[in-house]
Amino acid sequence: MGVSKKVSLTVFGLIMATGALMWLIQLWRGLILTDMNNAYSWGLYVSALAFFVGNAAGGLVLSSMIYLFGVTALKPFARIGALCAFANVAAAMLIVLPDLGRPFRVLNLLLHPQIMSPLVWDVIVLNLYAGLSLIYLYLLMLPDLAARNGFLNKIALPVPDPAGFSDKWARRLAPFSLVAAVGIHVVTAWIFATQGARGWWHTAVMAPDFVAAALASGTAVVMFVAVLCYGTTDKFQSAYRIMAIFIATAFFIHIFLMYNDFVIHAWYGTDHAKEILAITLQEYGLAHAFEVLAPLLGVVLLLNRHVRKTMSGIMAGCLLMIAGIFVHRLLLMPAAFNQMPLTLAPLGSQNTHWSVPIASGRYVPPADTFVSHHSYFPTLVEMLIFAGVLSFVCALILVAVHKLPVVKEG
Amino acid sequence: MGVNRREFIKTSLAAGALTSLDLKFMRFAGSAAASAGPQGETVTRTTCSPNCTGACGFNVHVKDGRIATLIQAADYPDDSYNPRGCLRGLSMMNLVYGKDRVKYPLIRTGPRGSGEFRRASWDEALDYTADKLKKITKKYGSHAIATTVQVPGTGYVHKGAFVRLTGLANWTIHHGYDQNGDLPMFWPMTFGVQTEELESLEWPNAGYTIVLGSNLVQTRLPDVHHLIEAKKTGKVVVVDPDFCSTASKADEWVSIKLDTDAALALGMARVIIDRGLYDTSFLQDFTDMPVLVRKDTGKRLPAKQVKALKNQADAMKIPDYRDLFVVTRDKGLVILDPEHLASTKADLEGTFMVELTDGTTVEAVTVFSLLQEMLAEYSLETVSQITGAPAQTIERIAVEAATRTPLHIVYGASNYQWYHGDLKGRALSLLPVLTGSIGVSGGGISTYAGQYRIRFDVSEWWLPKEGKLNWVPYLHFLNGGGPRYPEKGIKAMIGGWGNPFDQHNMSNALRDRAASGDIEFVATFDFSMTTSCQWSDVVFPATTWYENHELTATILHPYLQLQEPAIAPLFEARTGLALMRGLAKRLNPDWEALFYPDLDDTAASIEIIDLLLKTGGMETEGITLDMVKKGPVRLHSTAPGDRQVPFYEQVHDRVPFPPPSYPAPLPATARFVKSGRIEFYKDEDLFLAEGEQLPVCKPTFEDTEYREDPEARTKYRLRYVTKNSLYRVHSTHSNNVWLNELQGHKPKVFLNPADAAERDIAADDLVEVYNGRGKTRAYAVIDPGCHRGTLIFEQGWWAKYLQDHSYNSLTRAWIKPLHEIYFVPGIWSPTTVWNECLVDARRIIS
Amino acid sequence: MRRGMVIDLEKCIGCRSCAVACKQHNAQPAGSWWNRVVTPGSDRHLTASAPENLYFLPIHCQHCNNAPCVKVCPVGATYQTDDGTVLIDFERCIGCRYCMAACPYGVRQFNWESSRHGIERYEYQNGYTYGYPDSFRLDGRLVYSPVRIKGVVEKCHFCAHYQARGLDPACVRACPGKARHVGDLDDPNSRVSRMIRQMNGFTLLPEKGTRPNVYYLPPKRKEV
Repeated sequence: MGVSKKVSLTVFGLIMATGALMWLIQLWRGLILTDMNNAYSWGLYVSALAFFVGNAAGGLVLSSMIYLFGVTALKPFARIGALCAFANVAAAMLIVLPDLGRPFRVLNLLLHPQIMSPLVWDVIVLNLYAGLSLIYLYLLMLPDLAARNGFLNKIALPVPDPAGFSDKWARRLAPFSLVAAVGIHVVTAWIFATQGARGWWHTAVMAPDFVAAALASGTAVVMFVAVLCYGTTDKFQSAYRIMAIFIATAFFIHIFLMYNDFVIHAWYGTDHAKEILAITLQEYGLAHAFEVLAPLLGVVLLLNRHVRKTMSGIMAGCLLMIAGIFVHRLLLMPAAFNQMPLTLAPLGSQNTHWSVPIASGRYVPPADTFVSHHSYFPTLVEMLIFAGVLSFVCALILVAVHKLPVVKEG
Repeated sequence: MGVNRREFIKTSLAAGALTSLDLKFMRFAGSAAASAGPQGETVTRTTCSPNCTGACGFNVHVKDGRIATLIQAADYPDDSYNPRGCLRGLSMMNLVYGKDRVKYPLIRTGPRGSGEFRRASWDEALDYTADKLKKITKKYGSHAIATTVQVPGTGYVHKGAFVRLTGLANWTIHHGYDQNGDLPMFWPMTFGVQTEELESLEWPNAGYTIVLGSNLVQTRLPDVHHLIEAKKTGKVVVVDPDFCSTASKADEWVSIKLDTDAALALGMARVIIDRGLYDTSFLQDFTDMPVLVRKDTGKRLPAKQVKALKNQADAMKIPDYRDLFVVTRDKGLVILDPEHLASTKADLEGTFMVELTDGTTVEAVTVFSLLQEMLAEYSLETVSQITGAPAQTIERIAVEAATRTPLHIVYGASNYQWYHGDLKGRALSLLPVLTGSIGVSGGGISTYAGQYRIRFDVSEWWLPKEGKLNWVPYLHFLNGGGPRYPEKGIKAMIGGWGNPFDQHNMSNALRDRAASGDIEFVATFDFSMTTSCQWSDVVFPATTWYENHELTATILHPYLQLQEPAIAPLFEARTGLALMRGLAKRLNPDWEALFYPDLDDTAASIEIIDLLLKTGGMETEGITLDMVKKGPVRLHSTAPGDRQVPFYEQVHDRVPFPPPSYPAPLPATARFVKSGRIEFYKDEDLFLAEGEQLPVCKPTFEDTEYREDPEARTKYRLRYVTKNSLYRVHSTHSNNVWLNELQGHKPKVFLNPADAAERDIAADDLVEVYNGRGKTRAYAVIDPGCHRGTLIFEQGWWAKYLQDHSYNSLTRAWIKPLHEIYFVPGIWSPTTVWNECLVDARRIIS
Repeated sequence: MRRGMVIDLEKCIGCRSCAVACKQHNAQPAGSWWNRVVTPGSDRHLTASAPENLYFLPIHCQHCNNAPCVKVCPVGATYQTDDGTVLIDFERCIGCRYCMAACPYGVRQFNWESSRHGIERYEYQNGYTYGYPDSFRLDGRLVYSPVRIKGVVEKCHFCAHYQARGLDPACVRACPGKARHVGDLDDPNSRVSRMIRQMNGFTLLPEKGTRPNVYYLPPKRKEV
């Protein structure tokens, strides 16, 4: 392991440790340490869940493209794809834990699962997907595992033709993993989209949009790791080109779906819709500009073949895309929670809609306990816990790349 | 203090009540049998009694010696009164266990008002206080020490203890009724009583209800459902400059300009008279309307001056507080018998030539004719102009009120806490009188603010023969002078159940006097560390009403109720009786002997309750301690079913006015209505000089603010109205954490949108309210219901919530000279007029 | 049997006694209010939003028939009894707050910190706490506890602990306006059913399809 990798790993480790410590403190004092309240009950953690779920898409998209659609140029990145998928889906499940008020009761999900709850569906598909990605990674690495010594050799399936076996089973599993990949986004989207109480979420476009955004950011994650592992030699340029086009396509579909929804709501112009759009486009106008323009810039960079020849160019393009989608996930919350579902037209009033304030659960005189708007901004504790999980993703990938035959030599 | 018998009865009652409702609702209960409460929990039925005077029965559930929950006892025999209680009572634990609770006796160590104290023992604090009082008595005389008696109905025992010692020591005493500005002076002027009111159970019996300047929805929470019920068969009209919450519950809201209620009443009276809608026989028999008035002097014509009646008059034996006046019947002169209100058939109208004993002949005219003459100035057009209300509305309401009797007028404190508030009361009482709505179920005129009316005779406990009270109106104290102000001034204040350093006029002047040393000693007895405690030399920790024995009987629901301790006194809290006994012991052994020295505080309190019941007179006759221990017991009245219907006896049994006003002896108040009847015509010299022999409408501020500072007209353009808040009982609950949470922790001023815009004030801006006398601070609420030109401040905030700018630094102790022509404490006395105050406002911080 | 409540807005005087009674009887910590009373249209309670337009609206759990909170709960901690009451099993809840996102009425309150810390914010003497002192289990499930459990969601439970003793909910017993009524909505002859029928009972947010068991009677029209 090189020095830079060791330094990186140390940094990731420290951040993870800090995040874990913060979680311990949060366990002790409660979620009072976050900036959430009764009116704004989900924040960074749940946004991060959606973000990581999205990032997990890349791996299996890649494998399905290779094995279902025969895009062989991507084949060298298949393992990275599966690894990224596993790391992110693991992170998605991890980040939910600090969001729980009683994380030690998470076993209740197994003991008393309520099949009507989209959250239960999500737990099921996320676990399924995590398992599938692990199996996929294993299958893809199988030919190299057998060639290794020691532990890796021991865990390799003793099959006569590892390469053929790997290829055959990867091809067989591809359709399932595609379904599972789409499934995690759809089900994660349904967590939100099923909620009639929240106008911002309650739209049929949310699931397809989730898929589109995930395809963009997930592929960007794989591309980012790939370029770090393989560099920008000519051998991989066609793969990068395909991925760039894929990212761009997914992103434009995402933009289309998003604005399609905006237009429909804005045109009819209910007060609810206007308020939602005002929150997203005005109050959070800068964030919205970022979620659109940053990925757009990323796409512009990635679509440029000269840029694709530089490592920094690809990295920048991918990071812009990932960051943009991250902000998109953050924006899941403000318009959902700051548009109070209990908004009434008071009897006897004309053209008035009024939101009923909610007891925030926060007692901080002279601030009002009862709120109908909350400018949520994650606390340091939330950010450090998130950073810890993000570092976990990075560290996991780093260690796996170092220890496992993820990157094909030569 | 275990689960007592009453609780058992209560639960069985509750179980009984269930059957009449939806039994199935109690499914969890299985057989619907009421089960016992939690293990080790005790329940005590007692009475919540802050100065709202609501005196609501509460069940206190106690576990491990602490209050677990509070809930209305809902055990009034008249079920309509259940459940009685409100958010303030329901959150009382915040005061009982709150951080401002006074735990120990405190003796001041820092400068006055610094809040620096040291902990002392009761003995030490009592010794210290007694020593100071002795020195002050020696130096200035006993009148230099002043106490206050506040809202006696909420506690006859301990407040009585203050009065008792004050009398024995011959200290000065302020009557809280005029101190608080709650004394409606029209009552003694017109009816010869301190104050009267319908119990709220009678409200639904009104055919027509007019509420003027009373926000019952926020101030009389447990009773206001009766007002809403009054809409079922009657009509409820709210007359208020502002669209208050009470207006929102009315059938009709009539907005008038501030302080113009008298004009409205006079305009309505004229309509009623012009249309002949008045009750002639009522006016003939129960009012001074037929009484003859000399045109030359403006004085009523005494029978003794009339040649034809002199002999007869001389032969009639009447008490000193009565006078023989003259009426005419069938064109003949007749003496109006002040002691018998028999049918008079007297002429209501007319002018008569009367020959006097000195041989001269004078022209005399009936009060009713004079009234009509005066009302000629109050045409609908004029009244509409003065009040801002449409003429048709005034006319319609007048006709409705006169034809849908009984008429009930609720005359609120916002209406009468003005310099000319008495005129409004006199004018408004014309309406129920003209319509014969006095002394009948559901009719009359009621005042519900303050409520000093003592419900029965308390003199055995309050006024020992050995003692003598030196009554001084609080306004004289504030002004540092006045007819009754002690020669050497008042140098010591002993307070309880009050917070004068926030809650009374010119609170800043009081501070200055305390800071300068003009007031040499201040002792306060309270359970919370109020601003007044902060300014005291000694603070005595008081019990709350959940820690002592007490007897209450207040307004709106005329029940005698006990307070029984639900919990032991917290920390070193003791009762008012304990404080006064402790002082008596140290001041004079003879006085101590009159405070049940052989009994402990509890036994003495119970003994006193027993004494009060036994010696309370007609109202408490037959009511024993055992009866009140079982639950609320209705006081006796002269009306059927012991209902609280004022003047029922006067009208039904034709007994002369007034009924007694405790504890004053009847002659003290009866002299205000010498004819033994309801009097609208006042002929004392000053009334004549002021042109107020009959109720008139006088312009606002002309005799006060404008007279003192003509520039006030332009400098201070907002009328400063200090209204009651939902979240406080005056300054009690100012520090209630839940109730502050419910109102966003901020004091507020309410402004009309136009007034706010003119001053560039937006909602939630921090606003300074100021005038030449003082200033305060609060956050702006832009209220479209607030009348233009009015600034409303929700009163009761302790200075610490106002950045130490007490809101009473703005008010002024105006005294109307008419209120000083007699003096009966708390009955005819100069009274605070909070609303007579001009201010302006500016934005400090957005 | 469908347990329901009718709140008469004509009788409601906006005094918030119900909210305070609920607060103390159910031991809610600082910042937590299961029950609130608002002045619709106005940011300041009891202040008209427009001239001559003022009424008050108490809001707590609506105990919906089609309760989104019940459907989203992944572990069945929020559940509906067969009489329609929506309860929370404090020992089952994992604190994911999905139900809070799902509830259109904003009535669900989370214990962001421990009971002790929450109450301490009110700065009482000597660690004072208030509330009905015993826990209450319904069919073995903990649906009321005087000690708030950190990290779980809670809300109005129709005072299940009092119903077990044959008592009405605290808000009903505390309402000086006598605006609150409870009864069986399945029984067409029950008082609550008659009130709803005869006085135009309505529910909040009917467009959300939640079908609440809490009904409101409109403030009456004034004859003009």
